[in-house]
Amino acid sequence: MKTRNAFQHEEIFVQLIREQKERFYLLAYNYTKNEQDALDVVQDSIQKAMLSLDRLENVEYMKSWFYKIVVRTAIDFLRKHKRLQVTDDDTLQYLTPAQEDVYENVDLEHALEDLPQMYREVVILHYFEDLKLADVADILNIKLSTAKSRLYKALKLLKIQMQDVKGETAHG
Amino acid sequence: MDEKLKQLEKQYNEIPIPKELDFVVEKALKQGKKKRKNRAPQWLLGSAAAAALFTASLNVSPAMARTLSEIPVVGSIVKVLTWTEYEVKEETFDADIKVPSIENLENKDLANTLNEKYRSEGKALYDDFVSEVDYIKEIGGGHAGIDSGYEIKTDNEQILSIGRYTVNTVGSSSTVMQYDTIDKQNEILITLPMLFKDDNYIKTISENIIEQMREQAASDSDKTYWVKGGGIPDEELFDEFKAIKADQQFYISDKGKLVISFDKYEVAPGYMGIVEFEIPTDVLKKDLVSTEYIH
Repeated sequence: MKTRNAFQHEEIFVQLIREQKERFYLLAYNYTKNEQDALDVVQDSIQKAMLSLDRLENVEYMKSWFYKIVVRTAIDFLRKHKRLQVTDDDTLQYLTPAQEDVYENVDLEHALEDLPQMYREVVILHYFEDLKLADVADILNIKLSTAKSRLYKALKLLKIQMQDVKGETAHG
Repeated sequence: MDEKLKQLEKQYNEIPIPKELDFVVEKALKQGKKKRKNRAPQWLLGSAAAAALFTASLNVSPAMARTLSEIPVVGSIVKVLTWTEYEVKEETFDADIKVPSIENLENKDLANTLNEKYRSEGKALYDDFVSEVDYIKEIGGGHAGIDSGYEIKTDNEQILSIGRYTVNTVGSSSTVMQYDTIDKQNEILITLPMLFKDDNYIKTISENIIEQMREQAASDSDKTYWVKGGGIPDEELFDEFKAIKADQQFYISDKGKLVISFDKYEVAPGYMGIVEFEIPTDVLKKDLVSTEYIH
């Protein structure tokens, strides 16, 4: 019976990865800030996940289980590769304002970028990846109450930052 | 959702996705499947199963040893040459596969078995690469590279240890190492189980390796292994290393020490690459059949 479960898990896993790979990449990229490293994290995460797939009890949790692996692999990666964050050419080009209306977006991007990782990840997982706050807490290995307070703090910080930026533009 | 959050989300989603992502993902899935298959199931590590496995290999090796002992000693004229080389050099595709060949073994059966294996595996690597390149071209281009060859780990009067490596580069890379160790005087292929009296060596070696992993992780914060106390918090351990495989990759060093080798991702995160552990002979003494090879 166990083998059959494992086999089914594998099929579902492969399907999940194929469908959502871009989401997982974006999440990894948000930690590594570098294309090559994000690809490495995605690859490492998939391999790790497949090796422990049999131990996943409920298929329903697979998605948040895999988010957890990506987050931990990324954090582990950062811990081992403490170094200057390199922005690759594509991103640089993409961030370089070509027209007036892009300016505002750059400010916004920075608003999220400037958040410490502990706040940024809560925002991303909850709002952009549509995960329940309880799942976010589980993925990040923190208490639900901690997740909540970090989210509030993040929103507060974002608002303050964006207001500051607006103020500056108004003066300039 | 708040307007600002919406804009932030849009920003987040607009981060460019590299073309290689598809390929890296497919590759990782393929390798993951292979690893799942190759992996000894948990129950196999139980003593009963390990014992059965060991009996099976014992049945093979003494017979082999008997036949081989009749062959006269030939000394160290045994050598390794590059038999053939596959090369692909295109703008974004790079392959270099060197296939070794063991020459001057009196024991033709052994030489043929090894050389046949090297040749068919080399050919398969090349064929795989060609089909990968086709696939990459199909999905709109990208980079791929393969570098395979061999290195002689030990070549002395008694022992020839040859390691064949394969580095697969697609976005990120994976590395696989395979060893063959030959007793040049008796012209036999040395396997890991055959060095030991019984299956207890799995436990002895595994315990020593775990100990070494912990020591390394404690003294050097750049090192991480997938064991408890191996440099990552327990709750982040997804695939804890518990024991070596009965036929784990190994070689015998020039000084007669047993060295156990693990592929990239096998016991540590990818950035650690291939990792090796030399097992102190003192630790192995009680399990060794003799100190002829390992001393």
